[in-house]
Order: sequence, then structure tokens, then C-alpha cells
Amino acid sequence: MKRLFYYIALCLVVIAGTSCSKIDNYPAPSDTINGSTIDEVTGATVQTEVGGGGTRVELLETSYSSNPVPIYFQSMQDGTFNNTKVFAATYKVSVQGPFVPLIQTDSVGNVLTDSSKTIVLKNTATLNFKVQPFLRVEWVGKPVFNADSTVTVQVKITRGTNNPNYQQPITDVNLYVCNTHYDANNNYDPRYSTLTSYSGTSGNSILGQVITITTTGGALPAQDVFFRVGARINAVYDEYNYSTPVGLTYP
Amino acid sequence: MKKYKYILLTLLILSVTACRKLDIPPKNIIEDADVFSSSAGIQAYMARLYSELPIEDFRYSPQRGLNFFWIISPTPATTGEALSRDQTSSMQENFGGWSWDIWGGSYTVIHDCDYFIQTLPSYAKNFTTAQVNAWLGEAYFVRGMTYFGLVKRFGGVPIVNKTLNYVVGTSTDELKVPRSSEQAVWDQVASDFDFAIANLPAVNTDDADGSRANKYVAAAFESRAMLYAGTTAKYNTTTLFDANHNELCGMPASLANGYFQKSYNTAVMLDGVYGLYLSAWSATDKNAQYQNFVNLFSDASSKENVFVREYQYPNSVHGYDAYNVPRQLIGPNGYSSEVNPTLNFVEMFDGIPKNADGTIQNLNSSGQYNLYTNTMDLFANVEPRLRATVILPGDVFKTQSIEIRRGIYTGSASAGINPLLPAGSRSQYPTGNLVTSSTASQTPYALPGGTLMNPAGLSGIFTGDQTCAISGFSIRKWLNPNLPTSQVLENNETQTWIEMRYAEVLLNRAEAAYELYTAGQAGTINYQQDAFDDINQIRSRAGATLLSNAGAMTIDSIRIERRKELAFENKTYWDLKRWRTFAKEQNGTIYRILMPFYSSQTGKYFFDARTDERNDVYTYDPRWYYEQIPQGAISKSTNLVQNPGY
Repeated sequence: MKRLFYYIALCLVVIAGTSCSKIDNYPAPSDTINGSTIDEVTGATVQTEVGGGGTRVELLETSYSSNPVPIYFQSMQDGTFNNTKVFAATYKVSVQGPFVPLIQTDSVGNVLTDSSKTIVLKNTATLNFKVQPFLRVEWVGKPVFNADSTVTVQVKITRGTNNPNYQQPITDVNLYVCNTHYDANNNYDPRYSTLTSYSGTSGNSILGQVITITTTGGALPAQDVFFRVGARINAVYDEYNYSTPVGLTYP
Repeated sequence: MKKYKYILLTLLILSVTACRKLDIPPKNIIEDADVFSSSAGIQAYMARLYSELPIEDFRYSPQRGLNFFWIISPTPATTGEALSRDQTSSMQENFGGWSWDIWGGSYTVIHDCDYFIQTLPSYAKNFTTAQVNAWLGEAYFVRGMTYFGLVKRFGGVPIVNKTLNYVVGTSTDELKVPRSSEQAVWDQVASDFDFAIANLPAVNTDDADGSRANKYVAAAFESRAMLYAGTTAKYNTTTLFDANHNELCGMPASLANGYFQKSYNTAVMLDGVYGLYLSAWSATDKNAQYQNFVNLFSDASSKENVFVREYQYPNSVHGYDAYNVPRQLIGPNGYSSEVNPTLNFVEMFDGIPKNADGTIQNLNSSGQYNLYTNTMDLFANVEPRLRATVILPGDVFKTQSIEIRRGIYTGSASAGINPLLPAGSRSQYPTGNLVTSSTASQTPYALPGGTLMNPAGLSGIFTGDQTCAISGFSIRKWLNPNLPTSQVLENNETQTWIEMRYAEVLLNRAEAAYELYTAGQAGTINYQQDAFDDINQIRSRAGATLLSNAGAMTIDSIRIERRKELAFENKTYWDLKRWRTFAKEQNGTIYRILMPFYSSQTGKYFFDARTDERNDVYTYDPRWYYEQIPQGAISKSTNLVQNPGY
């Protein structure tokens, strides 16, 4: 009886030992694509938001099909991207976001310009895409704490492109308040953020002007907060161009 | 030797019996002849087709899809018509959560229609020509409806008008049908409906109760589909081309007028055949107008019902009342109050005191609250249609006064009552001078005279429990006033869903006519006057103020009329999409609510208008105008191009 027990135990040990043998004989993807989207005039990276509403990188793996299903990954908020789990292959790479599209088509679908990049990925590829953002949102000075514990900021919004197809009027200028620096249209505190919409061409009058925005909803809570201004036009996916996020310590 | 004899005998027996024919039709599988040889077989086939029609009925929500029983993320809470505790933001349809696959399921229905259309003619000798034509018409109608359900979601989709037969071992390439252009699919919808109109009789001879198509049903849906097509052509800005220059998303704007014309023409076909429901209506009695609008949703003999979906206990049921009755009439298995109309919605209606900017007037000229003896006093002159659509605080439902109260204000009122919060504030109400209740089990408060009063109403608002009228209103439309509370249960109701009623046909006609008018399409018809007459018919029945003259009408007055009339019928979601106004309306939007308070010092009520206390933000992403094609469909058929932005 005891012997039988040992035999069973031995069998289990053998099974447990052998069942772990490796059968996935392909190496995991380990190559890297990194880089950034850069404003071709200022040289700064183009600010965006994390998640589906911001800049993303499109990979078309052309090694085995001329018409592949695209693969996407999101850019980081500051306009840089880094994917360290990519298979070595030939890719056509482009970026999509709040800037003039790299691939432009006419009204019947003919490709007019295509600034995407084709790479043969081996180890690491660094790609910097020079783009024309729809809008540039720049801080003028620093956010100021007012006596009533609201905050006032000043920004200047200018166009980032001369392309007339992407010079629609500004539709929204929003001051976002958030308790982390992931501060954007998909993540803000609605109690204090100030959202302003413009109809028709009325938004064009603020272009190039220093505009002043104050938080709404009275005194901010006594904690550190981050501020960011986003603005957009009705082009492509109506994504926002952002200023950099700025943190402020509660006085 | 004997042994050989036995072996020989066995072989003989085997060889004789082995010749029995085994290749016979299987007895347990229904064959074409079983289905297509009798009316009963056709009836069974039709039952399946109709049950799979993709219509957004009592069992639809964007969160969980078509034909699902659990409706706690109701459609109106995605459009700004209402707030709900379980649906707190904008959303695109969540196909991943659907038990019924919108892509594969729709193509199954299309296949079943194609199969029917191909097979029925070979069995035509069993039936009269009229029967065959009518059934073919119904199959085309169902197929048109299914393409319509696809194109309004995805834009251009594959058109598959004959069954595909796969031979095992051969290439699957020819099964991978690519997407057609969006225009081609809308034209397919139109041609299927046109065929149905031409072949269906005026009255469906199998079922004349509106649950199966006739000529006019097909015309009514064509007017809806063509209106969607026309507005999409006119207002859409997203485009997507495939490698062969097919425009998969978007259409040339020049096509808009042709579609509007088709929408108008098909809507006019119903003129004089169907009509607005006016059985209990009276031109002079607002109460009769209210009762008439209530009855419209339950009277099976209504001449306004063009196409309905019927339910039957226990095979096909829903639970609309269980999810939506006011809190004080909660059914035995819970829920209640999922749909709470917003103040933004209520403010669209006439008969409410309003400020110059159209918001409700709850303050007097010195900026203090107006006081009312009863909560219904504010709504004394309200448009009857609003009362039939929304339960206002203090109105009567199922013989009970529906009590909605945010709390008791105990502060001094001798010099009037100032607003509790500064205008536009999104903060919580200050707790001083305010008695509230966090749940439905309340501690009564002793008023100055000694009488006891619960801080909150029986139907809310409770600060810690959102099972109540969180917006200050509760839904009235579709609720069955005769359903005993013991029967207000999930999966227990069979009230008929009216998918197409004549009021929508009139609104389609008005919108198409007005779009034609603004596009300068004169013709022999005065389109502006036509739209004006249509809208005033709707407003007259609703008990609303009539439009004074055709010149004062705008496209917005027509759209708002549509939103008021068809509210909570799962239509506004599609209207906001096709007008391409969803992203404009839901752009960091927090919807407004109206909170009734009782002032203990005056014994009167006042109302505070504010934004949703939960600060739920609605932001619609414009790429949702074209839904994401399910990834699984693309993996199976790699010729499918994904929509932009996904």
C-alpha cells in the first residue's frame, strides 16, 4: 500500500517536472521602435493626451502582405513614444494626432503626400516625425494664485500650419484642472475646469492674443494641482493640442 | 463442413441486406421542401426573420446591445434626454458586450433573406402569386432593414445579395467580400425597400396587426433611411477610401437632395392611410390631450401604429416598468428610476416660465427663489405632451402623487430665500439649514407646527442612494398605468413596442421637405409650407403652442420637435449621430437638473436649477460617428478596412 503511494507520488513528480517543458519555440518580440512627433518649426514635441484620444503610431508590416491590417500603439502625453515589444520586420510607420496628417488624400481618395517612413526593424529604430500641429498652445508667465484661491493662467494660441485645409476656426479652448499631471480632455476635474466653446469663426479672434483664463467653481481644494490648456479645431478627429502641464503648490 | 455452411449463410444474409439504400434524407433535419411547401413553414421562417430584425426596442441599450433583457444603461442616458445611475457618460455602442453579434448576426439575417429569395420561387406552385410576391416583399423588407442597421453604424459594408457556398478544401478568398461604398449600401437599402413597396399588399394578409410589413411599412422605413442618408451626405465630414477609391465612409454632399427627395416621396405615400392618434383628444381640454398622448402607447387599435414589435409571456418578454417606475412604486425585485429626464430636456417644452435664454425661471426679479404651495404649481400651464412623457414632481401616476423633494430648508425665509449656491456652481449643497435623507428609510423631521415630514420625497432625492429621481424628474412614457405593483418585475412584461408611428413619418417628411426647401429645390410643391403644416399637426396633437408662420421656422425648430415627440423611443441617439451634432452637444457637458426643496419656515416649495450633482461629464468623440468594425470580423475577412481612428 505504502509502495503504491510512493509510486503515485513519483508519477506526479515526473509529470510535474516534464509538463513545464517549453513548447513555445518562437522568441518573444524584443525589438524597439521609439521616437517622437516634433513641431517642425519650434522643434518641441507635440503635446497630446494619453489614451485613445491622443497621438498614436501606426505600423504596417509590409513583409508578408502589401495590404496588412495595421497595428497601433499610443504615444505618451509629451509626444514621445516607445514600444519595446515589436517583432523584427519591415514596417511602414506613421503617426496620427492633432497635426496635419502625414498621409493626405484628395476628395476622391488619391494620395497627395505621404511622409510615412519605411524601416527594416532590427534591434532599435528611432523615428522623429516632423509635423505641423494644428495649434500651438504656449504659456505666458506662470499660473497665479488669486486671493480667493482660484487660479488665473495666461496662454497664447497660434496656428502651427499654413495649410489652408487645416485652418478651421478654433472651436474650444479649455483650462483643465487635475490632481495629476495626466491632465487632459479625458481626465480633469469638472468642478474647477473652465471650458469655453466658440461658434462660427468667433474663435479666430483669439489667435495670437494673450488670453486669460480663471478656474471656475470658487476656491480650489487645498492640495497640489496641475493645469493645462487645450485647444482644438474641427479637423481629422477633432483632437486637442495642449500646453505642457504645469503643477502648482497650494499656498 | 457444417462450419462452411454457416459461413456461407452468413455471407449470403450480409450481401442481401447490404444492398438496402442508406442514402436517404435524414429524418431529423428540416429540408427546404418541409419549409417552403406550406404556409405554416413560411410562417415559421418569417418568425425567425422578424425576431432578428435589428430594431432598438425595449430590449436594446448601447451598452448591451439588441435583444438583451437587462436594460440598466438605458439609451436616453447616453443622449442627454435623461440621467441614470448606471450610465454616466457618452458612449459608442459596446459591441464587445453584446450577446447578439451585430456584424455576424446581421449577415446571418441577410443570408437567411437571400436564401428565402432564391428558394421560394422553386416552390411557388404551392401558393398563389399574391402570396409569393408578398413573402418575397417581406424578405426584401427584412434585408433592407438589416443593411440599414449596418450602414447607420459602420458606413459602407459588404453587400452580399446571394448566398455564398463554401466547398471544403477550396480557397476562402471569394468569401472575403470587401466593403462597398457607403453610397452603394444606402442605395441597396433604398432598392430593397422599393422592391418591398412594389410587391407587398396594402394590408399584410398573414398578420394585419402591424407586426409584419405591408407596402406602407416599407415606405415609412424608406423615408427614415433616406432621411438618415441625406443628412449623412450633407453633414458628415469624415471620409475613408479603400485602395480602389471606394468611399467607405462619407458621401458626396451633392447626393443629399436626391435622398431627401426619396424620403419625402415615401413619407407622402402614407398620407391618408395612417394618421395621428386622436381618440381621446379634444382641442380645448389639456387633460384630454394629456390622456390621449398617454393612451397612444398602449392602444392596439391606434391608427398611428405603422410597425410594432409584439412580445409574449414567457417566450419573449421585457422589463421596462421594473427598471423605470418611480421609486415609490418599486416592484418586488427592485430596480426603479433608471431613466430620469434632464432639465435640459424639459426646458425644450412650452408652458413653463422661462428666462430670456430659455432656461427655467425659478428666481424672482430680485434673484430669490419663487415659492409655490405645491410642486406642480410651477408646471400649471405645461404642454400636455410633457406631462405624458415625464413625471413632473407632484404629478399623479397610478393614483399616487409622485413625491420628489431634495430636502427641507430650515433657514429663515422672512426676507425671501437666496439661492443655496452661486449661479453655475458645481459644488455640493451647503449642509447648514438643510435636512436631507441619504436613503429611502427616512427619519421624519418635525416642522414648526409640529407635523412630521420626511426630508426627501418618496421617490427621492436620496443623497446616498441613486435609486430615485436623481434629476428631479422621472420617466412617464411607455409606463403601463394598469400594471399592478406586484407584477412590476423583470422579464414579465409584454407591452408592445411601437418602432414606427405616423408621427415619425410626419417628422421625416417635415425634415426632408425643409432640407429641400433650404437647398432651393422648389418644384411644384411648396416644401416650406409642407414642413410647417406637418410640424403644426404634431404640435396641435401635443397641445403645444402652434408655430405662427412658416417663415419663423428653422431647421432647429424641426429637430427639437422631433426630439420632443420621439423622446425615450431610442431615436434621438441616431438623430444626434446623423445630424453630426452629438460631439457639439456633448462637449464636456454636465446636464442640468431641477431640485425641489420644502421651506419649513414658509410651508412652501422652491426649485433650484443646477448641474448634475454627481458632476458626470459627457464628451462624445467624433470618431464614433462611424463605429469600430469588430476586430474579429476583420481577422476572419482581412479585406475589411477598419473605420478611421480605431
